Amino acid sequence: MIAVALRNLRHRPGGFVATFLSAFLGAALLMAFASLLDTASGVDAAAGHESLTTTATVGGGWCLIIVAFAVTSTLTLAIRQRDQQIALLRSVGATGPQLRRMIVGEAVAVALVASAAAVPVGLVLGRVLVGLLHDTGQVATSVGAAFGPIALGAGFGVTLLGSLVAGVAAARRAAGHGRRKQRPRLRRLGAALFLLTGANCAVLTATLMYGKGIDAMQTAGQAGIWASIGLALLAPELLRLVTAVLSPLVRLFGAPGELALQGPRLSSAVMPVLLFTGIATGTVYMQGIEDRAAAGTTQPGYAQDIQTLNYVVVGLITVFVAIMLVNTLIAATAHRRREFAQQRLAGATRGQVTAMVALEGLLITVTGVLGGLVAALFTVLPFGSARAGRVWPDASPAAFGIVAAIAVMLTATALLRTARRSVRGPATAAVRS
Amino acid sequence: MTDGVSLDSLYKTYDGGVTALDGVTAAFPAGSFTAVMGPSGSGKSTLLQCAAGLDRPTGGRVFIDGAELTATDDTAMTKFRRTRVGFVFQDYNLLPSLTVEQNVVLPLRLAGRRADRHRVREVLDRLGLGDRAQDLPERLSGGQRQRVAVARALVTEPAVIFADEPTGALDLRSAREVLTLLRTVVSGHGRTVVMVTHDPVAAAYADSVLFLADGRLAGSLQAPTADAAAERLAHLGDRVGAEA
Repeated sequence: MIAVALRNLRHRPGGFVATFLSAFLGAALLMAFASLLDTASGVDAAAGHESLTTTATVGGGWCLIIVAFAVTSTLTLAIRQRDQQIALLRSVGATGPQLRRMIVGEAVAVALVASAAAVPVGLVLGRVLVGLLHDTGQVATSVGAAFGPIALGAGFGVTLLGSLVAGVAAARRAAGHGRRKQRPRLRRLGAALFLLTGANCAVLTATLMYGKGIDAMQTAGQAGIWASIGLALLAPELLRLVTAVLSPLVRLFGAPGELALQGPRLSSAVMPVLLFTGIATGTVYMQGIEDRAAAGTTQPGYAQDIQTLNYVVVGLITVFVAIMLVNTLIAATAHRRREFAQQRLAGATRGQVTAMVALEGLLITVTGVLGGLVAALFTVLPFGSARAGRVWPDASPAAFGIVAAIAVMLTATALLRTARRSVRGPATAAVRS
Repeated sequence: MTDGVSLDSLYKTYDGGVTALDGVTAAFPAGSFTAVMGPSGSGKSTLLQCAAGLDRPTGGRVFIDGAELTATDDTAMTKFRRTRVGFVFQDYNLLPSLTVEQNVVLPLRLAGRRADRHRVREVLDRLGLGDRAQDLPERLSGGQRQRVAVARALVTEPAVIFADEPTGALDLRSAREVLTLLRTVVSGHGRTVVMVTHDPVAAAYADSVLFLADGRLAGSLQAPTADAAAERLAHLGDRVGAEA
């Protein structure tokens, strides 16, 4: 079956693009941050040892969470798209364990290639990070960027391990009991745990960290991330709720609106929107509160480290989540070629199919942006209380507006472009493929 | 105009130079049930798709219910089909996320028309699907799904119904039910039915059979029996060979 797996990769590389891209970017980011530890190994405290390790652990930690999430979700989607091929293999006599070996084999092969391709990119990114730390004076300019065993180990190790675990999980679903439903109770339990952890961090921030200045960021930042993940796991429920609330509005659009309300729910696409909005909004406003509170006071030396770090992390996560969002949407929409074709055969024009997709996109974006806003409050409110003594931040909503606009733009572009590609050509051909 | 569908020297050449239709002229009288038969690759599915406005012929003209299909872009073709044509496919093409009733009214809703619930119920009742209206297609048998597809094709009251191997995926009993239903569509509702099939038994339900070979007409048969249709089909190759 490993041979089949490799043939699949060579025959249809396009089907693995999404998985490859997320593994590649994840590995590159992890290598970049881990390489700071390589750099730090020969550096003493005066030259900025602590700056390097802090940046590496905080930035790397965030990336770890996001990478695990992105690789798992793209891989699961990529495998779900192939139920036809899997059914075919089963019909010619492939057993469950054989299919499992094939799927896991593919996942590991993609992860290996992606990690290898990520090495040069991680090397350059690592240099850029050290350069940033040079510029802000946190690390002595005499310190040269290194790229060694820690970077390679973390990059390859995490990507391979993540793909392996995701592959095994996806294969169990695919090879196991055919169309068994996902386990909502487990998912909801996980969501509750993450939300509780987030709430716990938020309470800690507002109580234990009250008046501790910039140190409150540690717990405040975490609170938002855990809450984002918790809410992202509740995406199906949130999407249902938003759909129910907005249904009178969507219905105004006639048949496309009705189809958008009845169609299969794309809750997998809500997750990246929610994570992006939550983490970006939370971090930007937290840093904003910090900047205002710190204005005119003397700060501990690492305050600037943290500021640089926050913005670097927001930038990286934005890029990464954007790619994950586009991947998810493209995979989810391309999968629906047949559905679109059937709608067209029933009398829908291309414009009506596109309108339906746009309305679905609206529901996804509203759910993701609102969920992200709620998650961001887990960071912003307690931090504002602890740092500035006021729960509701004294900040303009413009930054949130920009984050939301980016989310809308990304969702709309990815959805509509794939939808348009999926309805190209005659519907009769698309039904058969 | 007494023709439900008429085709005037249709040509269809695919990219890469494969000729699927090589000058087909044919008329399907209004209120008739015609089967189109031919070996694999004879162009019968292409003929159906061009005649139904699902695909554009490379040359020639198509008239449905007296109106010429002149539309060139996809949206205009869709709008042309909506009012005149209904479809039944081998693999049903029902939307899995919609209930039986929602599937049936979908063409009306897409055309921006109100669905008359009573009429829809009546049609479903008549097809023996009255109690399945709220079920999803995955809970129905193949024969039931195909009857839903026929109900969906009928709901816009089109002049012509095109069926592409409608019994290809059905067992004998379900196939008989669906064919009898198509027969009723003609005799009871006065519609024109054009059905592509490779099955002589299915063809025997039609008023006449049109044979295709290598993209050209290769004769016809009135009031066909299954044996006669099978016989002609079996010898289509001889004729084409003899002509060449």
